Amino acid sequence: MTESVEERPLIEIAPSSGWRALDLAELFQFRELLGVLVWRDVKVRYRQTLLGVIWVVAQPLLTMLIFTVLFNRVAKIQAGGNVPYALFVMAALVPWTFFSTAVSAASNSLIGSAHLISKVYFPRMIVPASSVAGGLVDMAVTLAIVLVMCAWYGTPLSPMLLLLPLVAVVTTFFAFGCGLWLSALNVEYRDIRVVVPFLLQIWMYLTPVAYPASVLPAKFRFLVDLNPMTGLIEAFRGSILSTPVPWGAVAYSVACTAVIVVTGAFYFRRVERQFADVL
Amino acid sequence: MSKRAIEVEHLAKRYVIGGVKEIGYKTLRDTLVAPFRAKRAPVAREEIWALHDVSFTAMPGEVIGIIGRNGAGKSTLLKILSRITEPSRGVARLYGRVGSLLEVGTGFHPELTGRENIFLNGAILGMPRAEIARKLDEIVAFAEVEQFLDTPVKRYSSGMYVRLAFAVAAHLETDILVVDEVLAVGDASFQRKCLNKMEDIGQHGRTILFVSHNLASITRLCNRALLIEAGRVARDADAHEVVRHYLHSDLGTTAAREWLEGPGAPGNDIARLRAVRVRSGGEIVQKVDIRRPVDVEMEWEALRPGHVLVPNMHFHNEEGLVVFISSDLDPKWRSRPREVGRYVSTIHVPGNFLSEGTMIVGAAVSTMDPVHVHFYERDAVAFEVVDVLAGDTARGDYGGPIPGAVRPLLPWTNEFTPREVQEGAGRVR
Repeated sequence: MTESVEERPLIEIAPSSGWRALDLAELFQFRELLGVLVWRDVKVRYRQTLLGVIWVVAQPLLTMLIFTVLFNRVAKIQAGGNVPYALFVMAALVPWTFFSTAVSAASNSLIGSAHLISKVYFPRMIVPASSVAGGLVDMAVTLAIVLVMCAWYGTPLSPMLLLLPLVAVVTTFFAFGCGLWLSALNVEYRDIRVVVPFLLQIWMYLTPVAYPASVLPAKFRFLVDLNPMTGLIEAFRGSILSTPVPWGAVAYSVACTAVIVVTGAFYFRRVERQFADVL
Repeated sequence: MSKRAIEVEHLAKRYVIGGVKEIGYKTLRDTLVAPFRAKRAPVAREEIWALHDVSFTAMPGEVIGIIGRNGAGKSTLLKILSRITEPSRGVARLYGRVGSLLEVGTGFHPELTGRENIFLNGAILGMPRAEIARKLDEIVAFAEVEQFLDTPVKRYSSGMYVRLAFAVAAHLETDILVVDEVLAVGDASFQRKCLNKMEDIGQHGRTILFVSHNLASITRLCNRALLIEAGRVARDADAHEVVRHYLHSDLGTTAAREWLEGPGAPGNDIARLRAVRVRSGGEIVQKVDIRRPVDVEMEWEALRPGHVLVPNMHFHNEEGLVVFISSDLDPKWRSRPREVGRYVSTIHVPGNFLSEGTMIVGAAVSTMDPVHVHFYERDAVAFEVVDVLAGDTARGDYGGPIPGAVRPLLPWTNEFTPREVQEGAGRVR
């Protein structure tokens, strides 16, 4: 009895203002909740309907088919080297689909979890984090399809494949950073929800998903070079298809990821105290 | 140990409404366009202090009830103490692990099975996975859902759902537990079980803050109570005293209560409560002479034809003890479907029957077969039974306190045998 009083943790509740510390220790403490929320989303998605799984697979596959017809057959864009165009697109669609699904899910996540946020305390960052992490399972499924396609086309894998987990981790963090910003903004500005899908669509066309960056006229190259997703998509594709990886662009992506995650986390912490009142 | 479990100092919470827009959020468009707009007269930003100044302390093991009218600030206080929202001023210090139950079954997912939801809900409430796994059997037994453990909860009856949800919460092992009106759900016997479980928790040196409109459970569970009025602690004392004070704080309104027209009143689309009144000699009274009969009438509406509707009233005392429950047995309506319309159902309680003190009356309309409660307003009205010490009551000439749930004036008889006859009878034998 006596010793338990001494070791009781103290929780102090007081008004805070301005920027706040990130409290990573607390995030670590709640890691099980993150795991459980991801597990819930994945379980529900894959149990509920066969359609859930089909949708996960169909979305990138159909996009690949459309791109192959439009860009390859009609616009005569070539992948370069001796890489089949369909494989070229699919290897980029896997990380892109993950990124875009994760960002749009994360940006709506706080509003979707309003009932949790107004009833239970936990670090709010867990909500967008679980939306992003939930997409990793889908990425693993679609990645398996790419590997099957590699076998079909007889494209050999190289030790570059070891790079893939690293690229996936950076992409996850980049999506998380974007998700932090957008989810927090979405609580305050409800029209973010309308803007995000549109923004993601434009963003995809500014990323060398359906075309190699080399086909762009020099004066438009800067658009692709400024885009942090360029390095990640190229690196992801390179790790599977052994296409050349623009290392400078990758370094730039990593730097952007660090900036967006850190600023996003601080911004999120700054505004999270109002979530329960506004939601 | 004089170490405190909770220290709350001058807690206040302000909500700002109005300003740019009435609603809490704005749109990006408004913000972007604002600088280009002609300056308008600034809209008055209205501030609402949901909580003005609340201070109290709690010792480990204390079970403290929090009562007050709707909008007094009870829920805001709980939300601050559960760290869901920040205070605008003041400090609260909580020593120990804190669990809060502002709702049962938070995060339950209908597609997941009972077992899966136990883990999900437990994690949301802050229970480590290992702890949930260890208590799984206990939780399942408590909820009485053994056979349905691997069934998705969407196939559960509402009773099972609530039992499972509460079972998880009841097994939360924290030093401090903050509970909102979560017991208002579930059937009566399960409510009793939950109350007992919570009492157990209190006896293990845990501190419980318990908001409830159910005054009976406050007096039964809590040794101390806080009355919150207009964002301030109006009274902080022994639970019985605070409940008594609360019931008398606005005389006249506890003996008669009316609900406005419309769906705000207790009820459903079959029956709806309109008013409950305590009368003695035809007048609405707050205090009733123990010798006089008292009538409690409920005015209610039957909204749909074809239902057998049975009004019933539940009398309980300050200690939370149910003194009696009585159902309408009026032969005119017994077992007959009610016509649509307004009814005034009155129960006639005889004089010299109730005990002294506060009687709290709950009013309900139910269908008995199959059982369905259309509404049950737990603490609808309250009145005071007073013994005037006139000598003609069950009290007789005794002036001290008399325990007992009822105090009927019952006939007594005596048979007397004079001493001589007694002795004579003994000798004969």
